[in-house]
Amino acid sequence: MTTMNKFHWFWAWDDEKEESWLREMSRNGWHFNSVTFPGNYLFEQGEPQDYVYRLDYFTNRKEMDSYLQIFQDAGWDYLGKMNGWQYFRQIAVTGEDQEIYTDNQSKQKKYQRIMLYLAIFLPIFLNSIITVNRGASSGLIQVMGFLMGLLLLLYVYGMVRLLHRILQLRRIV
Amino acid sequence: MNMKKYLPLTESTAYILLVLHEPLHGYGVMQKVKTLSEDTVTIGPGTLYGAFSTLESEQLIAKVGEEGRRKVYELTEKGQQVLKEHIRRSEILVKNGAITKVW
Repeated sequence: MTTMNKFHWFWAWDDEKEESWLREMSRNGWHFNSVTFPGNYLFEQGEPQDYVYRLDYFTNRKEMDSYLQIFQDAGWDYLGKMNGWQYFRQIAVTGEDQEIYTDNQSKQKKYQRIMLYLAIFLPIFLNSIITVNRGASSGLIQVMGFLMGLLLLLYVYGMVRLLHRILQLRRIV
Repeated sequence: MNMKKYLPLTESTAYILLVLHEPLHGYGVMQKVKTLSEDTVTIGPGTLYGAFSTLESEQLIAKVGEEGRRKVYELTEKGQQVLKEHIRRSEILVKNGAITKVW
């Protein structure tokens, strides 16, 4: 079996682009095998196949079995997970809406869960900002402070993008 | 009971509650809703799982059993009242639609 490692990073607000990319890979005969570490996929070569891929975000380990069972019952193959992202696929059927979220309200909740998860990091940021302000004389702490600042910028940017995604899913009327 | 926080239900939620007048697991709910709604409502597994956990924590449905890894749910008294009120409101809308019919 021919396999291929490929690094393909995606941000949480671009998860649908990732789904399309995985579909395209399968159409070219490279099928998802696993995610070995964040952003790093293992593909196996086979006959080109039109698979629809879907990514969900779910972290509740206690409920994992009954959660996966519902997806399996609905005809989705479970492929694996990475950092809370759950990978599913099924063969594309023309004219069918192959969605795991069938209304915008529930789809919004997926992104809300990600935001809620990210909120855990807020105290860490605040704490490090305070630490840096207190000990700004040390060179090492200044470098760390700079790096934390960059991370904080990315964090705020990510939160804004996720919020934007949620607002997009709001009903118009 | 203050039902305002639940009403109006989304179409998916209304159908989920409706089919849970008898105990069903996830797969049963998806099938029944599809048939009952004459294919106008499909419920994906992500939507259904989310609905189950929200409705359970709001005590509109309750877990009544397990079949392997599948949880079986049923409508509670409270869920019944909310659904009843939703249907009453919908009937008024349908009635007005029929009277006003201009198409």
